[in-house]
Amino acid sequence: MNSRRGSHTLVFGMVMLVLLAVPIFAAPWLSLDDPLAMNAGARLARPSLEHPLGTDRFGRDLLTRTLHGGRTTLLSCGLALGSALAVGMLLGALAGMFHGSWFDIVLMRIIDVLLAFPFMVFAMVIAALFGTSLFHLLLAVVILWWVNFARLTRSIVLNTRKSTSVDAAFVLGISPLRILLKELLPQAFGPVLVLATFELGHLILAIAALSFLGLGSQPPSPEWGSMLADGRAHFMTTPHVLLGPALFIVLTVLAFNCIGEGLRDRIDPYEKHRI
Amino acid sequence: MGRRLLLTFLQTLMTVFAASIVLFALIRLAPGDPAKLLIGRTMEIALDERTYAKMLGEMRTEMGLTGSWFSQYLSWAGSLLRMDLGTSFYTQRAVAAEIGERLPATFLLAGTALLIQVGIGLLIGMLSALHAGTLLDTLVRLGCVLLASVPGFVIGLLLLLALAVKLELYAIGSEAGLSRLWLPALTLGLLGAPQMIRVVRANLLSELGQVYVQSALSRGLGTRRVVGHAMRNVLLSTITLIGLSLTASISGAVVIESIFAWPGLGEYALNGILHKDYPALQGYALVTVLSVVGIHLTVEALYVWLDPRITRRKKEAAHE
Repeated sequence: MNSRRGSHTLVFGMVMLVLLAVPIFAAPWLSLDDPLAMNAGARLARPSLEHPLGTDRFGRDLLTRTLHGGRTTLLSCGLALGSALAVGMLLGALAGMFHGSWFDIVLMRIIDVLLAFPFMVFAMVIAALFGTSLFHLLLAVVILWWVNFARLTRSIVLNTRKSTSVDAAFVLGISPLRILLKELLPQAFGPVLVLATFELGHLILAIAALSFLGLGSQPPSPEWGSMLADGRAHFMTTPHVLLGPALFIVLTVLAFNCIGEGLRDRIDPYEKHRI
Repeated sequence: MGRRLLLTFLQTLMTVFAASIVLFALIRLAPGDPAKLLIGRTMEIALDERTYAKMLGEMRTEMGLTGSWFSQYLSWAGSLLRMDLGTSFYTQRAVAAEIGERLPATFLLAGTALLIQVGIGLLIGMLSALHAGTLLDTLVRLGCVLLASVPGFVIGLLLLLALAVKLELYAIGSEAGLSRLWLPALTLGLLGAPQMIRVVRANLLSELGQVYVQSALSRGLGTRRVVGHAMRNVLLSTITLIGLSLTASISGAVVIESIFAWPGLGEYALNGILHKDYPALQGYALVTVLSVVGIHLTVEALYVWLDPRITRRKKEAAHE
């Protein structure tokens, strides 16, 4: 193993992510119980060999539900963040390229306004007006979360544009679009990837919190947040009902945070772009 | 200095204005007729069609739902300026009064949490920086990464389980006073602590590498006093983070208030969602937006006031 800064953290995070992702995405093919199958005889059973994480109030196996739920949580969070990232990078790159234009000015004012809404508050308003569902939460994510990616991409494109090589490219008559795609955007990939890794962790935590309040995915479909909301009422007497989803959330976010730390040290050792 | 602040203030006003348009548009875009919601489904079934239509029309006029969107917005914004946030669908009381009753509880919670967070951050961050590279430092950093990965409600529930159920140090059912405050505040403070610790550690480390520290040490000034001087500069650079933490606490308080049944704004908003109480939620969103931009503006002003270099640099730039 090489001894570059951050490589241990990066490897640790990656290994942890793989160890979590394999059972989660292979859950349908593993010989597990049906995540929706109820068993009145084994309600709120404590962890045992048969049910390693115990059962919930309907006697459903919590390990099965946690693994199946992980797919929904990870895929939906990944998809929402991916969309936000794409939108943010595109708009940020254009704003940086045409710095000072009306597009840039309007975009920055829109960003100012969106920054005034904390995500939790905005998501709550959306949930109240349009109904409580995971889809609406993800919609709120796409509406608000592109802002950070746009700001980061804009600042990097703006900085890179000042370099002599980019001036030379302009003088040579290369089209601005080509310069943007070939010279400027690639500079942003690294920092954006680092930001995305951290933001994915934040997003999983935020979605979990909102689902815990009952504003996310609705029962009976398994999803980490809704499982937490479901187990909340029995927590004081049988705390193990929250163990599965809580543990998986902590480990997943930890994995993403470690990957983010490792990547940051690797890509940006001098912390030029403070994230 | 004054001009810079005035400019920021005007920009803030624009932001608030635009945010109010966003909120207004969202409510109009929502499916379902608020007037119908307020009258209720039972009335719709019980009354004959003509009486119901007449009642609906009257309700729309009363709620300011007639006319073009533009005039609707103007009348709504006008009432906002008079501190009138509308009437709650659910309790039939003025939203502004209801929010006013709950605001102190949330501010008290967020403020106490901030004190705890800054306290932990300064203490642990300083220890970690002064012992950089040792086992203690590594443990602190590991602890920060781990703590930052735990959802707030999990920390809250674990503390509740340990301190209220097992050790019986905390009574959740008691009067909402100071004896009820410490556990939710501690939870909220712990949530923001990792970030604070890391920033204090990083800033103190970079401060200790400065020439003034080296020269003070070489002239035989005690470590304690030198660190004291360095900490003053560290404090200055944490102001932005303190502002961000305060806004995070105000919006993140929703979950903590829900777990600890703390009668603040978050709990009010959750009830609003439950009863589809649009005005209540709109009021909540507006108040949080105002707090966010207010805190942001305060941070900006504090910076200019505390760090004369910012103003001086501007002046020098103007003379050149």
